[in-house]
Amino acid sequence: MIRFALRNLAVKKVQVILVILSVVVSAGTGVLAYNTAAQVSDGITGTAAYYSAIIGPSGSKTQLAMNSMYFTDEPLGVIPYSLVEELLRDSRVVSAVPFAMADEYNGYSVVGTSPEYLSGKRLAEGEMFAASGECEAVLGYTAAKVCGAEVGDLIYTGHSAGQTHKTPLRIVGILERTHTVYDSQVFTQLRTIWVLHEAEEEEEEEEEDHDHLELDGMVCAVMVKTRNPAYATALVGEYDGKVVSYDKGSGEGASLYTLTAIEPMATVRGILREADNTRYIVFVLCGIILAMNVIVVSIVTLLNMYHSAAEIALMRLIGIGMGRINLLYLVQNAFAGLLSTVLAFCVSRLCLGLMGGYVASMGVVLDPSKVYPAELLILFCVFLISVLPTLVCTLVMSRRDSLGS
Amino acid sequence: MIETFGLSKRFANETAIEYRDLVFGTGRSYMLMGASGCGKSTLLNMIAGILTPDTGRVVIDGTETSSLPQKEKDRFRIDRIGFIFQDFKLIENMTVRDNIDILRLEGIDTSGAGALLDELGLGRAAGKKVRQLSGGEKQRVAIVRALVKRPDIILADEPTGNLNFAIGEKVVEELLRVSRGKTLIAVSHDDRLAPFFDEVIDMNGVTGGRRSAPAQEARDD
Repeated sequence: MIRFALRNLAVKKVQVILVILSVVVSAGTGVLAYNTAAQVSDGITGTAAYYSAIIGPSGSKTQLAMNSMYFTDEPLGVIPYSLVEELLRDSRVVSAVPFAMADEYNGYSVVGTSPEYLSGKRLAEGEMFAASGECEAVLGYTAAKVCGAEVGDLIYTGHSAGQTHKTPLRIVGILERTHTVYDSQVFTQLRTIWVLHEAEEEEEEEEEDHDHLELDGMVCAVMVKTRNPAYATALVGEYDGKVVSYDKGSGEGASLYTLTAIEPMATVRGILREADNTRYIVFVLCGIILAMNVIVVSIVTLLNMYHSAAEIALMRLIGIGMGRINLLYLVQNAFAGLLSTVLAFCVSRLCLGLMGGYVASMGVVLDPSKVYPAELLILFCVFLISVLPTLVCTLVMSRRDSLGS
Repeated sequence: MIETFGLSKRFANETAIEYRDLVFGTGRSYMLMGASGCGKSTLLNMIAGILTPDTGRVVIDGTETSSLPQKEKDRFRIDRIGFIFQDFKLIENMTVRDNIDILRLEGIDTSGAGALLDELGLGRAAGKKVRQLSGGEKQRVAIVRALVKRPDIILADEPTGNLNFAIGEKVVEELLRVSRGKTLIAVSHDDRLAPFFDEVIDMNGVTGGRRSAPAQEARDD
């Protein structure tokens, strides 16, 4: 039965290819849209849930969240490091991790922080940079792989490719692949950022026009974990809009810094609400494509059946029963449907892989190996849709035996 | 043995065909002759269970096949009858072998097809698509498909109808050779083939079927 069904499919390859293409386009788009939306949502909320509060300079709360958690966009500015020490003394706070982002290495952002920022991340090789050391770097998996960097190598970071610092960083470790934005970053001690920029400022002290952040003794944000969510809300209430003064000791006197404090989950939910609207539009489009798929598959199947009428009559004449003929056509279409859905799945994974490389640079990492149950449900529905017209046709044929006509 | 009793068949265009009772002995070959439309093919179709007679009975080896449900008629046809059609009834885009193996859908063993194809000179054509074959070759493929299941009865509807006489004569010779010992009923309008068969039945007029319109039937009554 299966062999004959396959032979018969091979004979009708044009119609079969039409059906397969139709299903691959519709199911592939649906699955891809769902997976992308789900992974972006999961990635964003997963990272956001890790911190209770983030405190940074005044400005856009979305920008603060996106920069400090997903390394996208520019930092809002700087705030004094003394704030980290102040928070660590707060009994409500479990940890306060500094975050500074100023440089890049071959297009990969350099993040100055403490080893705690990478807690939970595993090293593929080497070791974590020492909290008390300086000029040591831990590279994310992709950054190391793309740059061909290995443990022990010296790398030169800078504001851009042509403007590198004179002091190199020594790679002490490479992170395991996480399929997150961490794969595309370079991590170093906060002190390293200060040291590099202190040296640079000395070199440039006579130049008036340099637009990068003055980072000595400063951070771009403080990532805070509190003992419970209520403390986080209270902390945000206290620090949001607060003005702190800080004297760098350079003789210029104290400067004032206005703070912004956010609860990452609340901010991210706001972002996702907007993303949900986009997802809704994508799903509506997928629905339209699926509806078109039903129409195309139905028409092609009906045309197939129409063209198969002579073949069915022939089989009836030589004694093949209607039950067997129905089963034959069902097997044929089920096989085409199965092939289509498998191809649709493969195409969606291929697209995810291709998109992954592109969107990783924007702070979103897509894992092609991640499969959601809803995706399988979508594929199963599409499979049913591709087989349904055959079921209807064979049912109609069963009632109208072509024998004797 | 095949027996028919009081068969008649009416068609949508109101034409009706009535048959006298006929008996076909086991292991013998018969040629049904007659003009076009006298009901030769209809008789074969009723014996095969493809058409159901409006009146009368077909009895094969004691079983009244004409009154069986369609499923059982299909089963009887696939198990016991080899039918050779005038227009071959082959799937043009499929290979010779596939056209024979189609019977496997109903669990028929087609392992003897190779030997039969060789016997009819088609051994090398097994992998060819039917559309690449000549008319004579197609008819031979149809014969192999009818005989591969080793039926007791072979019904051949104008097996030489699409062939010229020389090729047709050869096909009939081969058909008779490979169906030796089986009951063979062949329809033909070509009386030059008559000498090949054990018995010839003239289906014209009272000796065979009677073709009449309803009005004519009413007048006859």
